Amino acid sequence: MLLIRNKELRNAIKIAVPFVIIPSVTILGALAFDEKKHIIVSLAVAVFSLLLFAAGFEKKSTGTRRMVIVAVMTALCFAGRFIPFLKPIAALTIITALYLGGEAGFLVGALSAVLSNFYFGQGPWTAFQMLAWGLIGLFAGIFSEKLLKSRVLLLLYGAATGIAYSFIMDIWTVLWYNQGFSLKLYLAALASAVPYTASYAVSNVLFLYLLAKPFGEKLERIKTKYGV
Amino acid sequence: MRSFSEYNPIAVTVWFFSVTGIAMFSSYPLLMVMSLVGGAVFFTVRNGFSRGREHIFFWVLFLILALANPLISHNGKTVLFVMNHNPVTLEAALYGLNSAAMIVGVLYWFRSFTQIMTSEKLLYVTGALSPKLSLILSMALRFVPLFSRQSAKINSAQKAMGLYKDDNIIDDIKGKSRVFSILVTWALENGIITADSMEARGFGTHRRTQLRRFGFRAADIALLAASLALLGVTAAAVGSGSLDFMFYPSVSTAVPDKLGKAGLIAYGALIMLPIIIETEVSLRWRYLRSGI
Repeated sequence: MLLIRNKELRNAIKIAVPFVIIPSVTILGALAFDEKKHIIVSLAVAVFSLLLFAAGFEKKSTGTRRMVIVAVMTALCFAGRFIPFLKPIAALTIITALYLGGEAGFLVGALSAVLSNFYFGQGPWTAFQMLAWGLIGLFAGIFSEKLLKSRVLLLLYGAATGIAYSFIMDIWTVLWYNQGFSLKLYLAALASAVPYTASYAVSNVLFLYLLAKPFGEKLERIKTKYGV
Repeated sequence: MRSFSEYNPIAVTVWFFSVTGIAMFSSYPLLMVMSLVGGAVFFTVRNGFSRGREHIFFWVLFLILALANPLISHNGKTVLFVMNHNPVTLEAALYGLNSAAMIVGVLYWFRSFTQIMTSEKLLYVTGALSPKLSLILSMALRFVPLFSRQSAKINSAQKAMGLYKDDNIIDDIKGKSRVFSILVTWALENGIITADSMEARGFGTHRRTQLRRFGFRAADIALLAASLALLGVTAAAVGSGSLDFMFYPSVSTAVPDKLGKAGLIAYGALIMLPIIIETEVSLRWRYLRSGI
């Protein structure tokens, strides 16, 4: 990403990769393999996009301070996953993204998934979790202006991403179980995951409501004080 | 002479992903059985019989997964019985059993993988892929115990100031959120100081070095080469369709040709690799000890 000096072109690529290239890989993969192998395509897409992001991040010169702040937020997310019933990871990821940008949000979401899974069980789903939480952060960064202006919108975003996270992870559950996608199994998985979906949505709204303002003030202060 | 977990993490990771990758992307029942048995044996050999709860969890999950499919999916020709006006078929039951074997097998493998890949080894592997991400991961790992120590300090300071009571829930939550807020401010400030101190010591001017060095010895290269070769044979057999297995509409399988048989043997050998290594090590130990 460092090689492209033109800012508009860089932004265009940033949008093109997740929205154009990766979906086309998915469709091509679905056409090339028979439908029973959706799992390969989906896992390949998840790993591919994570690697792409890592490569982009690696090439860019990021300030040391910024990197350490990302590490701090990741550690807080990691610690937060030990709270029973409530899951503050997505909320903290969104808050980071709002104040430090989408890339930092993606990193915090994706890295806290890897780290915390060392305690909660690593598995092939780690790639999906990384991508899901990462994207929640990335989109929060993209829409940060609007989300920062209106608290209602922010809480709505939290609730929506909480539900979306559960829906995405259930797609994975079905693919893993069945290799191909089956709507019936998906609906059954969604139904059995209702308490989790509710807990994700509720904890996102709750933590965003409680933490967005104080955390924002702290991050804002660090930003103006040290120019992160 | 090293035990399997002491091999170069990259070689171990490649081996793990070969085993689990084949298990996940194939649906040939014999492969699933091999992966499940191998995973369970490997986990038990590494831990002895101390992890009873995990075994129980895995096998309960196995039952649930195996039973879920025939209750939800009604494809298949052979109807066993009819429940709530829905046919329960033999094919769906077998399919559920196969999927359950795959999932529980992979879960066993990943549990062992998490045990073998300590955070230090993870950092070595991610460091090879992306040094920057590896740095963030290692710092975050270090921050977790640091933060818990600091929050204990803040807690006692608050108590000494008489600001922290836990007589009732509301006061408790208020006090805890105050401690958390102070902790976050401190963590961010401390992070900046850490970053400045890192830069002052020349961070980013050179390649980052690792705490522990994992060289590539001959045995590591042999393990890596053997894993990749066996993976290649198995993947060729799975990919070419010699190991296809159809559950619907009725159970049917192609009799495995030469490539299919080679694939099965290769996968068996792949699973046996660490067991071979461990046996070799323990035999040699016994031999050396008998000489004393």
